[in-house]
Amino acid sequence: MSGLRRLGNRLQTIREVLGHFARSQSFVLIPLVLVLLAAGLLLVLTGGLAYVAPFVYALF
Amino acid sequence: MTAVLGVSAHYHDAAAALVIDGRIVAAQHEERLSRIKNDASLPKRAMDAVLRLGGISAGDLDAVVFYENPYAKLERVLVGTLRAFPRALRQFPRALGSQLGGKIWVMDALADALSIPRARIELVRHHQAHAASAVYCSPFERAAVMVVDAVGEEACTSLWHADAEGLRELTHIDYPHSLGLFYAAITAYLGFEVNDGEYKVMGLAAYGKPARREEMARLLKVASDGSYELGLDYFDRFTRTELGYGQKLIGLLGPARSPFERWDLTTERDRAYADIARSAQDALEDALIAIATEAKRRTGEDALCLAGGVALNAVANRRIAREAGFANVFVQPAAGDAGGALGAAILGALTRGSPRPAPLAGADLGVAVAGAPIATHARALGLIALPVVDVASAIADAIAAREIVACVQGRCEWGPRALGFRSILARADDVEMRERLNRAVKKREPFRPFAPVVLESDAAAWFAGGANAMTPFMTTVAEVLKPEALPAVTHVDGTARVQTVGPSTQLGAVLGHLKQRGDIPVILNTSLNGPGEPMVATATDALSFFVRHGVDRMFIDDVMLTRPA
Repeated sequence: MSGLRRLGNRLQTIREVLGHFARSQSFVLIPLVLVLLAAGLLLVLTGGLAYVAPFVYALF
Repeated sequence: MTAVLGVSAHYHDAAAALVIDGRIVAAQHEERLSRIKNDASLPKRAMDAVLRLGGISAGDLDAVVFYENPYAKLERVLVGTLRAFPRALRQFPRALGSQLGGKIWVMDALADALSIPRARIELVRHHQAHAASAVYCSPFERAAVMVVDAVGEEACTSLWHADAEGLRELTHIDYPHSLGLFYAAITAYLGFEVNDGEYKVMGLAAYGKPARREEMARLLKVASDGSYELGLDYFDRFTRTELGYGQKLIGLLGPARSPFERWDLTTERDRAYADIARSAQDALEDALIAIATEAKRRTGEDALCLAGGVALNAVANRRIAREAGFANVFVQPAAGDAGGALGAAILGALTRGSPRPAPLAGADLGVAVAGAPIATHARALGLIALPVVDVASAIADAIAAREIVACVQGRCEWGPRALGFRSILARADDVEMRERLNRAVKKREPFRPFAPVVLESDAAAWFAGGANAMTPFMTTVAEVLKPEALPAVTHVDGTARVQTVGPSTQLGAVLGHLKQRGDIPVILNTSLNGPGEPMVATATDALSFFVRHGVDRMFIDDVMLTRPA
C-alpha cells in the first residue's frame, strides 16, 4: 500500500473523529481533540508509544 | 458470493470470524495462534486463518466489520477523564496515549493489514455485535437479548428485542455502572487476575456463605425494574485502574488477599474470602435475574439470549434459566469480546442481504489438524506415533484404563471452553484422576472444579434437567444427580458445568463405546493447555504440549502418541 494512500487513510480517520464529535455536539472538545489527534498521528506515523503499557483493566 | 469478515481487537481477546453467504465458515481466537493468553492485538493470524479456511483472499471480501466504534470510545474516555480532573491527572496521558496512539486508527490498521481499500471497513456498536452474536447463532426466530459486560463504548448492560424485523435496542445502562467491573473489582480484591480469574471467583463462591450480603448491597444497588447502580466511592477507576477498587472497599471488606499466597480453605481467613466470593456471586446473580425479568416483561418472549463477558458466568446462567420466566436460554460459546467478531460479521452479512445463519451446531470453527505430518516430527523427538483406525474406540479404551488422554481432533473450539476438539479427557468416577490431572498438568487452585461431558440422551439420568440450549456449549451448570458416582467432576455444591454431545460427534462416539463396555458414560473434560497458556490450536502446539506435560496419551487426528517405556 503506497505511502500516499496510507496518509489518505489517516486523514480519513481524522475526518471521522471530528465528524463523530460534531454529531454528538461535543463542539467544545474539538480543539482539544485536534491537538491530541495531531500528536496521535505523529506517534502512529513514527511508530512510537512503546511506553504505553497494556492495561490489566482495559478500560480505555 | 457475499463474504464478510468480523474482527474484535484491542481490549481483551482478539478474534476474527468469517461469514460467507450467511454461513458461519470460520471463527478463530488470536491467542490460540499467537500463543499469548488473552492476546488483544490486531488479529492478523486469526484473520489469515479464517480467510484460508473459507478458501478466499482478503480481496474477495465485501466488507470487514469491526466490533465497536473507536470514536465513541475515545469520547467516553476523554469526557470521563476530564470530568474526573484532577484525580485522573496521572491517568490522562496513558488513557489518551492508548487511544490516540493506536486504537482510533483501527480502520486504517485493518486496511493496511489486509491490503484492501479503507472504504470496505465498517463499524458496528459493541453491544450490537454482542447481541447479534447471541441471537443469530441461537435456535430462536425471536428472542429477548441481554448483553452484560464490563463496558463497550458507553453501555455496560443493554436489552434488545430480536424478531423477523431485526434487532432493536430497548434500553441500556451506561458506564461507570457496570456489573462486569463490579465482578472484576472483586476478582482483583481476591488476588486473581482480572479478565482471567473471574471463573475462580465463581468456583470459590461455592465454598462460602453469603455472610457479606449487606456489604455487597452497598457496592451494588439493584431496583426491581432491573436498573442498578454501583456504589462508585468503592471503585477507584482513575488512580487504581489496574485493580478497580479503592481504599473504601478495603475499609468495607477488610484487607485484600495477596495474589502470591496459596489457598487453604481449611483456614478461617480463606473461608472469609470465600464468603466474599459467594456474597458477590449472589449479588451479581440477583442483578442479572432482575434485568432478565425486565427483559421478559418488556418483550414477552419465551426465549432469552445472553452475551457479554458476564454471560460466561455459568452458575448465574442456571439461575436466570430457572427464575427469570423464560422457557429457553441460550449463550453463544464465545460470549466474551471475541464473540463480538462473529456478531459483527453476521451484522455485515445481513446488511448485504445474506440469509440469517443456521443455528450454531458446534463450536469447532477454528483451524484444523492433520495427524500424518506431525507423526514424523513426533518420531524425530523419540515419541511413539502410531496410526489408529477407530480413534473414538481407542480413546475410550485409554480412558477406561485410567489414563489421562489428550484429544486433538478436527477444528479447534470457538470460545473459552474445551468441547472435545482440544480437550484432556479422563474418568469422571475416580477422584484420583482429578488429583493426578491437577498435579501433572493443570495445577489449578484446589477449589476449581472440572467439567463433565455426557451424551444428550443420557444427560437426564445424570444431571437435573438434562440437556438444554446451553449444555452443548458448557455455558450453564446442573445439579449432579449421583454425585457419589462422579466425584471427579462434582463441585462442592453438588453441581457440574455439564456439556452434552450428540451421538454423531466423536466425543459422542467415545461415550457410546464406554457405555457399551459397561463403564459410566460420563467423562471429565478439561481444556488442553497448561497453566497460563492459551488452549492448543495446531498440531505443532499439541506436540509441544505432549512433550512438556504429563498426559499419558495424545490423539492428534488419527495418530496416537505415547512415550517409550
